[in-house]
Amino acid sequence: MSKQSKMGVLGLLLVLPSFLVLFVIVILPVALSFKESLTNDSGGYDLSNYIYLFTDKLMRSNIIFTLTVTIISVGLVLAVSYALAVYMRFNDSAIVRWIQKMYMIPIFIPGVIATYGLIRMLGNRGWAAQFLYQFGVESMPRFIFDMKGIIIANLWFNIPFTTMLLASALTAVPNSIIESAKDVGAGMWRIFFNLILPLTYKTLLVAATFAFMGIIGSFTAPFLLGPNAPQMLGVSMQQIFGVFQDRQLASALAFFTFFLCSIMGYFYIREMTKEERGKAT
Amino acid sequence: MRWYLKAVGPKKVFEFLVLVVFIVFFLGPLLNLAILAFTGNWVYPDVLPKEWSLKWWSFVLEQDEIASSIGLSFLIAAIVTAVSIVICIPAAYAFARIRFPLSRFFLFSFLLTNAFPKMGLYISIAVLFYRLDLMNTLLGVVLIHLINVLMFMTWIPTSAFRNVHAAQEESARDAGASPFRVFRSITLPMAMPGIAVASIFTFLNSLDEAQGTFLVGIPNYRTMPVIMYSIISDYPAYAGAVFSIILTAPTIILLLAARRFLSADVMSSGFQLK
Repeated sequence: MSKQSKMGVLGLLLVLPSFLVLFVIVILPVALSFKESLTNDSGGYDLSNYIYLFTDKLMRSNIIFTLTVTIISVGLVLAVSYALAVYMRFNDSAIVRWIQKMYMIPIFIPGVIATYGLIRMLGNRGWAAQFLYQFGVESMPRFIFDMKGIIIANLWFNIPFTTMLLASALTAVPNSIIESAKDVGAGMWRIFFNLILPLTYKTLLVAATFAFMGIIGSFTAPFLLGPNAPQMLGVSMQQIFGVFQDRQLASALAFFTFFLCSIMGYFYIREMTKEERGKAT
Repeated sequence: MRWYLKAVGPKKVFEFLVLVVFIVFFLGPLLNLAILAFTGNWVYPDVLPKEWSLKWWSFVLEQDEIASSIGLSFLIAAIVTAVSIVICIPAAYAFARIRFPLSRFFLFSFLLTNAFPKMGLYISIAVLFYRLDLMNTLLGVVLIHLINVLMFMTWIPTSAFRNVHAAQEESARDAGASPFRVFRSITLPMAMPGIAVASIFTFLNSLDEAQGTFLVGIPNYRTMPVIMYSIISDYPAYAGAVFSIILTAPTIILLLAARRFLSADVMSSGFQLK
C-alpha cells in the first residue's frame, strides 16, 4: 500500500469511533422515531399521531404557546446580546472590562440551579418582592408558573452564550476598517449597517439557530417554573413518554419539533459548510 | 445630583446602569441562593435574614440519596470525560493533520448533534434505548451525556491542532525525532490549552446534564441535577440552596483553574468553524 493510502486508512480509523457514537445517539434515534411516529395503535402505518397533534385542543394550545415563547425569547435574546457584544467591542472602560469578565459565568452554571435561583428570586415572596416591599410595593406581578417566567429564564440562559458567539465574531472585525470609515465621515449607524452587520451576520444566524433550537427543545426551566397548562413542548413530550407511556405520540411530537427547526438546522449546516469549502479551495 | 451626572458624563452613567442591571439579573438569583444556604430562618419581608446558621448543611449531607448522588455524578462525569477524550482527540488530530477520504463529511457530521432541539432528540434516543434495553443503565446515561459534548470535544481540539504550525513539527522531524515523539513533545503540548478547555467543558457539561438523565436514568441513576428536581419541590428552600452550592462548587473551582485558557474565541470554535 502506498504511504498516502495508508494515511487515508489511518485517518478513517481515527475518526470511526466517534462517528459510530454519533450514529448510535443521533442518526439512528432520529430515523427510528420517524418510523415510530407513523405507527398507529394497531401496528399499521398512518398519520394518526400527527393528526392528533393538530386536532387535540390541549396539544394545539401547547404548540402555539411554545412558538410564542420561542419567538419572543429569541427576538429579545438577539437584540440584547448583539447590543451588548457591539458595545463591549467598541468601548473600553473599567465597567466594560468588568462586564467582559463576568458575562460568561452563567454559561457554566447548571441549568437546574439557575432555574431554582430565579424561582426564589422572582417568586411572589421572593427576594425581589422583599426589596420592592421596602419601597412600598406589596404586590409582585406573577412571574413564576407563568409565561413571563419562562421567557425570563430563557433570557438568563441564552444571552451569555449568544453574546459570547457574537463577541468572538466581532473581534474579527478589524479596527482599521472602522477607523478608515470614520475618517471618510461615515456616521455610527452607517458603519453599523454597512460594515459591522455584513461582517457578522453569519454568526448572527448561527446564534439565532442555537437560541431557537435551545428554547424549543428546553425542558428544565419550563418544567420547574412554567404553568401546568399550556405547556412547552419539551415538558409535554416528557409527560407523554414518561407518564402516559405513549411512545408513538411522543415520537410524533419530537419529530414535529425537528420539523419546526429543520429550516434553521439546514441553514446552520449549510452556512457552516459553505465557509469551509471556500477555505479549502 | 444633576451637576454630578453632568460631571461624570452620560456615558459613564449609562454604563453603570448597564452593569447594575446585568449584575441584578444574572448574579442576583445566584447570590440569593448563596445567602439562603447560610440562613437559619428568613422571614418575609426582611431584605436579609436575621438568623444565620449552618444547620441546613448537616441536614443535606445526612440525606442518603443526596450523598450517593454526589458520588454518582462525579463518577459519570469522569467516565464521560475519559470516553470522549479517547474517541474525540484522535479524530480531532486526524481532521487537523491527515488527508483522508470523506474527511469533510465526517467533520461536518458532528453538526448533527446541534441540528435538533434537545428534548426532541432525547425522546428519540429514549425510544431507541427502550428497544435496546438501555433504559436505566450506566451505558445509556453515558451515551446521552456524550451528545452534548461530542461536537465541541472534536472541534475545539481540531482548531487547536490546526493552530500548531506544521513548520515546527517538520523541523523536529528533520532533527531526527520520531513521529510519535513529535506528537508528544511538540504537537500535544501546543494544542493542550484547547484540549484542556474542551475536557473541562465536557466534565462540567456531564456534571450538569439533567434532562437526558431524567429521561433515561430514572430510577437507578439519579445524578445531582436530577435529585435537584425533587429537592426543589420536596425540601425546604434552605436545603435546596445548600445543595445548589454543592452542585455549583465544582464548576466554579474548575473555571478558576482554567480561566487562563478560557476565552470567547476558544469556546466559540466548538460551535462554529472559523
